[in-house]
Amino acid sequence: MSIILLAGAIMLVLAILMAWVLGWANKTFHVEVDPRVEAVNAALPGANCGGCGYVGCAEYAEAVVAGACPPDKCTVGGESCAKELAGILGVSLEQSWPFRPVIHCGAHYSDRLGRTDYKGEQSCTTANLVAGVQGCTYGCLGFGDCVSACDFDAIHIVDGLATVDYEKCVGCGACARICPRNIITMVPFKSRQMVVVTCSNNDMGKDVKAVCKVGCIGCKACERNSGGFFRVDKNLPVLDYDKYDPDNLDSIRLAVDKCPMKRLLFIGWPTEKDLEATKDMEAPDLVEADFKTTVDQTDWQG
Amino acid sequence: MEYLSTLILIALSAALINNFVLHYFVGICPFIGVSRRVDMAFGMGCAVTFVISIAALLSWLLTYYVLREGAPLTVVLTRDPTVDLSILNYIVYIFVIASSVQFVEMYVRKYFKPLYKAFGVFLPLITTNCAILFACLEIMKHVSGVSDPAQMWGVLESLVMAASGGIGFTIAIVIMAGIREELDHCDVPKVLRGAGITLITAGILALAFMGFTGVDRGLQKVLQGRDKAAESAEAPDASAQTSRNWETGI
Repeated sequence: MSIILLAGAIMLVLAILMAWVLGWANKTFHVEVDPRVEAVNAALPGANCGGCGYVGCAEYAEAVVAGACPPDKCTVGGESCAKELAGILGVSLEQSWPFRPVIHCGAHYSDRLGRTDYKGEQSCTTANLVAGVQGCTYGCLGFGDCVSACDFDAIHIVDGLATVDYEKCVGCGACARICPRNIITMVPFKSRQMVVVTCSNNDMGKDVKAVCKVGCIGCKACERNSGGFFRVDKNLPVLDYDKYDPDNLDSIRLAVDKCPMKRLLFIGWPTEKDLEATKDMEAPDLVEADFKTTVDQTDWQG
Repeated sequence: MEYLSTLILIALSAALINNFVLHYFVGICPFIGVSRRVDMAFGMGCAVTFVISIAALLSWLLTYYVLREGAPLTVVLTRDPTVDLSILNYIVYIFVIASSVQFVEMYVRKYFKPLYKAFGVFLPLITTNCAILFACLEIMKHVSGVSDPAQMWGVLESLVMAASGGIGFTIAIVIMAGIREELDHCDVPKVLRGAGITLITAGILALAFMGFTGVDRGLQKVLQGRDKAAESAEAPDASAQTSRNWETGI
């Protein structure tokens, strides 16, 4: 009996002692945290995607409060989040555009020439090291490193070509960072649809024709027709988005029409016309696998 | 000199021969969980070494003065030298580990901001690391269960054992992380990907560490060569061999 009492008493004394020490430590070692950091942290979406250039939302919040970074860098939260942060910090917000990825390649499997049956690891990073996977050494490889890099299910390989789903994309830039051929760039979307060059091939027209059915041949038709918006450099049109004015697109539309390979495209969120066109199409509600006819694609390597 | 060589043997034994992870299989969760990249693994190892030393110091003090049979505190309170409170060991050690981790976290956060950032989430995670509880229990075994006061571990032996155990943990986890970084580029059969190949690697690593078995005997001969040789010449069957050797004491 006395042992039980003694054990209980010792535990109690130990508990009180530890509680006192920890309480004292909590007070003595208390670190002042700027309440604005907590407020900013709460206003951020918490996706921790790294789109702002910082490791996570918490680090970005610290940088914003310290003034090291403007409050409109969060691509997930977008404009409303930037406004909220600006309100917390009491600063005014400059006009900013949402940055979204653009794939500078437009060739599907059937358009690419000189493609071989590549048996190595199914990733763009490794396939890019091997010569002869496909004729074009600039364009999309189609193994989907960008798809696995995306945390938001916003990029998919459609018939061998990476395609961005702008409804889901938040603009974190993970796909642009992972692409070994650097054909994904982040473009400021000044309107719902932006004109982009969907080719990355820097070779001369004849060489492009040898490897791709749809590649840019560097004919400079766009340079002649757009009044200086396009400038052909290394056989590819270069765009100056600072000069892009969504309300005055006539010269650009003319250049787009004149492009013989149709490599200048307006891409982005679906327009009202697109939505109208697909309005009557019916999507299946739910597709259930039929185990009698469906073949399991898992390859057994045991 | 003999005391020093005992300390060296304890350190070597805890770090390599009886490596916490690869011999006793304690602390497996961080060993598997945080061994993806070498720098993270090294951070985890350092954090464990840090906390294990503090926990060992505290648990030695508690075991020696409160918990063991005939401890000074219980003798003063009950005037009965047979009272044994070592039934309380688990709960007391867990208590001590949890609070010391909390304390260390607060202290580091205040005075070593870069270190706090480097440790990150690892520091609170260590609270549930069984390698630390194992070190405390090992110390208890050599303090409260020993009848001969000459063989009882002092605070220095306990600290050396715990710290070198932490270093052994760091060695094991860093080697593992190095292997796993290379493993990422290998064509592992689909059924073994992930945890499977990691556990097999850990098993082979443990086999490799078995090669250290017996190193302590050789070292003991080198360190204590003269006196031992003289002793064994006088009494060949003397049990002095096992006297303070941690390896054979278990």
